[in-house]
Amino acid sequence: MSNMPRAEQETVRDIYRPRPASIVRTADVTRIEKLFELELESGEALGHMPGQFVEVSLAGFGEAPISVSSSPTRGPRFELVVRRVGALTGALHRLKPGDRVGIRGPFGTWFPVDSDLRGRDVLFICGGIGLVPVRSAIQYVVDKRSHYGHMFILFGARTPADRLFSDEYEQWCAPGEATFLETVDKRDARWTGAEGVLTTLIPCIRFDPGRTVAVICGPPVMYRFVIVELKQRGMAEDNMFVSLERRMKCGVGKCGHCQMNHIYVCQKGPVFRLSEITDLEEAL
Amino acid sequence: MSVYKLSMEQMRDWISRLIAERTLYGVQQRDERFVFGRVERPEELRLDYDVTILPPKKYVMPPRENLLAYLPQEHYESLWADEPFVPLGVHPYDFVAIRQLDLLFERDNPDEHYLRRRKAAAIVVVDVERVSANVFAGCVGTAVVEEGFDGLLTRVEDGYLLEVRGAKGEWLVSLAESLAPATRADLRQRREVWANNRRRLRKHELKVTPERVGQLLRESYGHPIWEEKARQCYSCGSCNLVCPTCYCFDVRDESDWSLRKGVRYRVWDGCLLEEFAMVAGGHNFRAAKAARYRHRYYRKGLYVPEIIGQLACVGCGRCITACTTGIANPVEVFNRLQEEPHEQHAAC
Amino acid sequence: MGKPRVAIFDFACCEGCQLQIANMDEDLLKLIELVEPVEWREAMSEKSDRYDIAIVEGSITRPEDERRVRDIRRRAETLIALGSCATHGGLNKLRNRFPMEEVRRTVYGESASMPHLDSGRVKAVQEVVSVDLKIYGCPIEIAELSRMIRELVAGRRPLVPNYPVCVECKLRENVCRYEYDEICLGPVTRAGCNARCPSNGMWCFGCRGPVDRPNVNAARDVMERYRKTVEDLVGKLELFWTGEERING
Repeated sequence: MSNMPRAEQETVRDIYRPRPASIVRTADVTRIEKLFELELESGEALGHMPGQFVEVSLAGFGEAPISVSSSPTRGPRFELVVRRVGALTGALHRLKPGDRVGIRGPFGTWFPVDSDLRGRDVLFICGGIGLVPVRSAIQYVVDKRSHYGHMFILFGARTPADRLFSDEYEQWCAPGEATFLETVDKRDARWTGAEGVLTTLIPCIRFDPGRTVAVICGPPVMYRFVIVELKQRGMAEDNMFVSLERRMKCGVGKCGHCQMNHIYVCQKGPVFRLSEITDLEEAL
Repeated sequence: MSVYKLSMEQMRDWISRLIAERTLYGVQQRDERFVFGRVERPEELRLDYDVTILPPKKYVMPPRENLLAYLPQEHYESLWADEPFVPLGVHPYDFVAIRQLDLLFERDNPDEHYLRRRKAAAIVVVDVERVSANVFAGCVGTAVVEEGFDGLLTRVEDGYLLEVRGAKGEWLVSLAESLAPATRADLRQRREVWANNRRRLRKHELKVTPERVGQLLRESYGHPIWEEKARQCYSCGSCNLVCPTCYCFDVRDESDWSLRKGVRYRVWDGCLLEEFAMVAGGHNFRAAKAARYRHRYYRKGLYVPEIIGQLACVGCGRCITACTTGIANPVEVFNRLQEEPHEQHAAC
Repeated sequence: MGKPRVAIFDFACCEGCQLQIANMDEDLLKLIELVEPVEWREAMSEKSDRYDIAIVEGSITRPEDERRVRDIRRRAETLIALGSCATHGGLNKLRNRFPMEEVRRTVYGESASMPHLDSGRVKAVQEVVSVDLKIYGCPIEIAELSRMIRELVAGRRPLVPNYPVCVECKLRENVCRYEYDEICLGPVTRAGCNARCPSNGMWCFGCRGPVDRPNVNAARDVMERYRKTVEDLVGKLELFWTGEERING
């Protein structure tokens, strides 16, 4: 093993070495989800597009793939929303503004906000923390509102306590024509909104399948049901985009953990055009 | 073409020089089997082995390889291994496997850790003398290699032939004293060795051409063989771990006693292991044993070939030997897919 | 924050796992820089009722042991089961296959009826109280213990392998014990020992217990291939796996 001088280290591109970033702000999103606003210490923007993910590193704990939740239109800082599920994410939750983390990426594909979505009506369908990566695209659309037609957002949470970003819905809908509908699987005493699974919202909206592009993100079980509904409404597979979760360990198409048949999700995903993966047995 | 002839005595001297000059890895006996290890005396080296338990891949992609050192405050430093070394006595099929890894680690996002180690290696291939119990390199075109190596040894009647290529090859031959070039008769002998090995290294007879395996698999996703064989799968990963072309890895952190410093390292992983595709929340994206069992064959026969343009099974036969329940034989599986196409099953 | 206070307790066992800790040499000094031992019968005379981490060695065999381990559980934030006797019941469980009266008579003879020998069916610690972390093995592995304590103190969740011993055995390039026509329990046993037995010329005895989903049926099916019987296999499994439903697949 040789330890090279720092200067030389910087010139060699080590795909496994994280870049330092510092936490600017944290905010509780739900009981188990926390938002982190981050800034690369180099001062550069992350350079991501909506839907891409980063590997967040915490020395001693390892790395976790986390999707970026903010739009690149909002400046050089970026936001991650982390669900506390294990030791690493638990430790992340204990961090405070000023603390550092390591960042690799951005990695993977993105929602086609500058191509397929542009000039069309957009339909975002999100279950639970599926809203986390999609929020980046929503912000992008909101910030370039004139480039898009009507925006539909359908959001389903397990319970009212699991709703994400509820103080932002109004801002999302303000600048242009927008429809926002939400539901919870299980209501509580104070909930006056809809109760039922996410798919029950689809019949509530009127959209033109010929001029609408759908972006779908949620837990693994959700996709099939949503896709069936949209197809029944006449939407083509070419116009549906999904973001899929897998074990993206290295992020650079080497380690093999995220493979879905022949596809390395960290490279060819996490965002896929549905028609590209309908024949893929391990996809949905 | 630079091919030299080494008498047994010259061979011994040359190996002594190599030991003196570089870290030399070669094959040694362990019980009835063979393993690659550090060679410190020429007499430890066995060039007439049949097959090693682990492939020499372990020198370019070590089972555990430190990637980064981490220091307090999320400071990471790359750790590199670039000290030159010589793996000597690599069988052709294992060398083909290393060449495949070269392609995979170079492409898209070049993996400097692999590439530096690889660059530091001067690899000397040796043509197979003794045929192992399960080798089928002859069926997949890897019994012999004619390019890419730094040195190639072939046992002939009264010594060895050594062919060298490139700068590393020149260095290798510079360590030997006054070598005579190989004669025409020597080269004829070598061609015979090659022809024989192409014929001999076929302990299992693959009934499809390597080029056809991919298509065969495309037609066989729902074939009953996957469920049937996987019933006897321990999910122990032995087939992955002994494979010269498997390169999946896990990345882990380990701190020292200070708890503030440590290393991030990678270890070999295996797609047959139960938690290979499990995410942090606990969802396992390849939970079924049969799906994991099938995935390995698809990696070897279809998915990796789609990337590198060649079958990702080099016919070493190690998985066949390592699998204690006898379900890991690629030849048996591919032949069965050929002989009993899935449609037939679908029809009945 | 002060160093976590650690207490080590033993129940029915040979105390060999504690001995492993005592034998850590220099690493023991490093270890006690991270934690403060407050009770450890084998190595110190102090006792304490205040501790953060309780390390429990041995299996639970008597009603008073159950009361004692419940008390330990109440006091400890983290309870670690140490070694096979604690994690599975270990060799001790072999006796669960016989009537207890007969076991007591065979072992203690005429003294069998004395009250402190009121030893009953053997239980693993988790059969009595909840266990936060298991350190497997008969005996435990010092390297694994060191790593797990470090991770625990650093607030991490220690990695516990859920893959078979074969993984580690292959990496050590051992000749497979099946090539010697031996029944090795490596393919169904939880790794973490770095294949200690096969690396030292013995088959795996299964001391660390099964992986989460061992394919015992596959083992049964292949016995014939190695000129062995299912009875041979079960005989090997019973040594450390008595009471594991998974023996039966």
